[in-house]
Amino acid sequence: MSGFDLERLVPAHVASFQAYVPAPPDDVLLRRFGVTHLHRLHNNENPLGPPPAAREVLARWDPAQAAIYPQGDGWHLRRAIAAQFGLEAEQVILGNGANEVIGFVIKAFCEAGCNIVTADRTFAVYEWLASFSGIEPRLAPLRADGFDEAALLRAIDAQTRVIFLCNPNNPTGSWWDHARLERFLEAVDGRAIVVADEAYAEYAEAPGFPDSFALMARHPNLVVFRTFSKLWGLAGLRIGWMAAAPAVAATVRKISISYSVNLLALEAARASVWDTAHLAATRDHVRQGRAGLAALAARLGLPLLDGIGNFAMLRLPMPDTVAHRRLMARGVMARAMTSFRYPGWLRVSFGSAPAMAAFAEALEAVLAEV
Amino acid sequence: MTADDAAPRLSLPPGPRFAAVGAEFVRGAGAAGGIEARLADRLALIAEEVLAASPPGAGPVSLALHDRRHAVRLELGFPTADLDLAGLDQARMRDPEDDAVGLYLAARLADQLTTEPVGRSGLLLGFNLARGYAPRSLDPPPPGLGPLAGAPVDPDDATLALLVDWAEAEGLGGAGFRIAPRVLDQRAAGELFARVALDARRRPIGGLLWQPFGRRMMALSGPALLLPPGPACEALAIALLDAALGALARGSIQGLVVLDAAPDMPRDAFEVVGHLPDAAGTPQPVLFRALEEDPGGIAWVPPLLRDWVTRSVRRLGLGRDLGEPPPPGRATGAVMAAETDRAAGRVTLRPLLAAGDAAAVAAGNVALFRGQGFGQFRAVLDLGQPGHAAFAEGLVQAGLAPAALIPDAAGDLLLLAALE
Ligand SMILES: Cc1ncc(COP(=O)(O)O)c(C=O)c1O
Repeated sequence: MSGFDLERLVPAHVASFQAYVPAPPDDVLLRRFGVTHLHRLHNNENPLGPPPAAREVLARWDPAQAAIYPQGDGWHLRRAIAAQFGLEAEQVILGNGANEVIGFVIKAFCEAGCNIVTADRTFAVYEWLASFSGIEPRLAPLRADGFDEAALLRAIDAQTRVIFLCNPNNPTGSWWDHARLERFLEAVDGRAIVVADEAYAEYAEAPGFPDSFALMARHPNLVVFRTFSKLWGLAGLRIGWMAAAPAVAATVRKISISYSVNLLALEAARASVWDTAHLAATRDHVRQGRAGLAALAARLGLPLLDGIGNFAMLRLPMPDTVAHRRLMARGVMARAMTSFRYPGWLRVSFGSAPAMAAFAEALEAVLAEV
Repeated sequence: MTADDAAPRLSLPPGPRFAAVGAEFVRGAGAAGGIEARLADRLALIAEEVLAASPPGAGPVSLALHDRRHAVRLELGFPTADLDLAGLDQARMRDPEDDAVGLYLAARLADQLTTEPVGRSGLLLGFNLARGYAPRSLDPPPPGLGPLAGAPVDPDDATLALLVDWAEAEGLGGAGFRIAPRVLDQRAAGELFARVALDARRRPIGGLLWQPFGRRMMALSGPALLLPPGPACEALAIALLDAALGALARGSIQGLVVLDAAPDMPRDAFEVVGHLPDAAGTPQPVLFRALEEDPGGIAWVPPLLRDWVTRSVRRLGLGRDLGEPPPPGRATGAVMAAETDRAAGRVTLRPLLAAGDAAAVAAGNVALFRGQGFGQFRAVLDLGQPGHAAFAEGLVQAGLAPAALIPDAAGDLLLLAALE
């Protein structure tokens, strides 16, 4: 083994990349922060959990099936999704979470020397996946806390292969309406793939939220991401999907990983499509959470940034990373936003009523300590 | 290690026979590269001493000479880490007949000594010599600068130099904002970063600098603010800090440390993680700003500092498992590296290699530098490394006291300090 020279074998873009280190499991966090419970307001999960039909699938599940491979590309689920949105099943590709689908798109369209374009203050995974794949991420600054089409268009060049829009944007909740997305697609004029990451689209109640599947017919460079992790309450099973024009989908399918979505996820997701009662109940819950957080922000005099989604951001008179720690020590997990380039801001998911109450109490105590 | 592939390099067998060849290489390469003979001679001596002191089993020794403009650096690479580093510890050297005397002399000749592992088993010794800069006369900033226009930028050299000159002329921004040519050289060497705020006429009106502090932190200096005091000036400081945080987010840097804060640093954006005595002996707050969420971690704490660390961990709200470090595996041979700043009379000690005699070695280092007239002592222990704790006892015996705990879930940094 003396000939093994690891450094020689590692590409520079991998060597220079800093590995993402997920937080340790809850039992470790509980011990380290000396608390007996942690309220989860940091990952934009749905406190209502999965819809009843999905729960039933999980409860009925026969453990013996764990020995059997799932069907390799989600045959039934893709048909269910396609029927819901007026697509062909071939236009839908599943992934082990939308995160995996981000990787598929970069792998399908980018090679050395290419770039992707996205915003500086958005979901991190586009930027990370590009970086560790040796693809330059070009970050256009947000404008008034929203994606700025002028800045994005300026960032595009002949090497740009994919533009990632996060709509609505995590973490600001800002969003483009149908007309604005359409104008942008016209301006891009087919020069690059345009991804609309709609992980939180199901939370949109405002009229005018894009019907991206309809736009896709006229703009075959549009790719839409969705996930079962957020409103559908299946984050732990890891399942997301994308839809694209047939030729684009056929290209992505070449490099997509068959069998990467597990049996349980496929069945639970299929049972969830498209439970309108669950949708309504979750939206109702989010409305309450949003009103409660707005009232808290007003009472504490904290600026609030809010839009579409099951989360909002608060500006604190102290470093967000300090608030994060001190909230942890009081049993509440929220997201420090310095890593989203929003120093001083905290992102809070709309959790259960007790979690929101615990957050309010803990935040007041933390602010009183400054 | 610098990724400077143009640096002249040579590989030589270890031991005294080729030591003179190494020295000649350094002199010759220095002359060819335009390095002043005075500096090249010192590095040549270092090369000679280190080669002569390297044992026959050390394998081929690589030499590389780097001109980093504000400093010159000789790197000596060893394929194995078996080299006995004891000689690098300046306090250990007593017997001039000892083989390790060469390393001892080499360490004394350098302004700064660094060691880092390379590959799976190699070791790189880096010896730095600082360049001097001739004094210049400076123009004061023009009247009527400002207001801020747009987000602060990563400045071009001319803009950065102008800002540093103006800050220096006005005595603003602290020690970092002095000698513009040095600042530019440090930046060109990849050892300094800046954000500068501009007004509508693209004139610099303020800036913030940062430099590596250990592997996972950056030390901030400044801000230098050229606007008159008031809300616009305060907003400028915050804009600069936000720009720095934005530039560093999503990378490998975990936090920003401010060891001597300029008065205009926005305190609310930081937490106070301890106090360090300044040159006059007055305790000054050590400021810290974490970039990433701290999910908790392990801190290996020597029994004698357990109370102090426990109090700090509680006060800062850190999630830490406090572990009692196991005794070091080696009985003897502990080593510390010393970074000396002769102008400030300051020495900073860091553990290189832990062993059972760590406490004695630490105390010996403090005594040595005290004997050389140094008045300010600092030590940095990484509490993520169980072996570092072993040095604490000797440092405390020698009069250092815990001064600050810089949080890092992968290894908190404990700063100890003493002022004579
Ligand atoms: C905007 C956005 N896209 C994608 C994802 C990833 O979702 P998944 O759980 O499906 O991988 C998230 C999750 O936080 C998100 O916020």
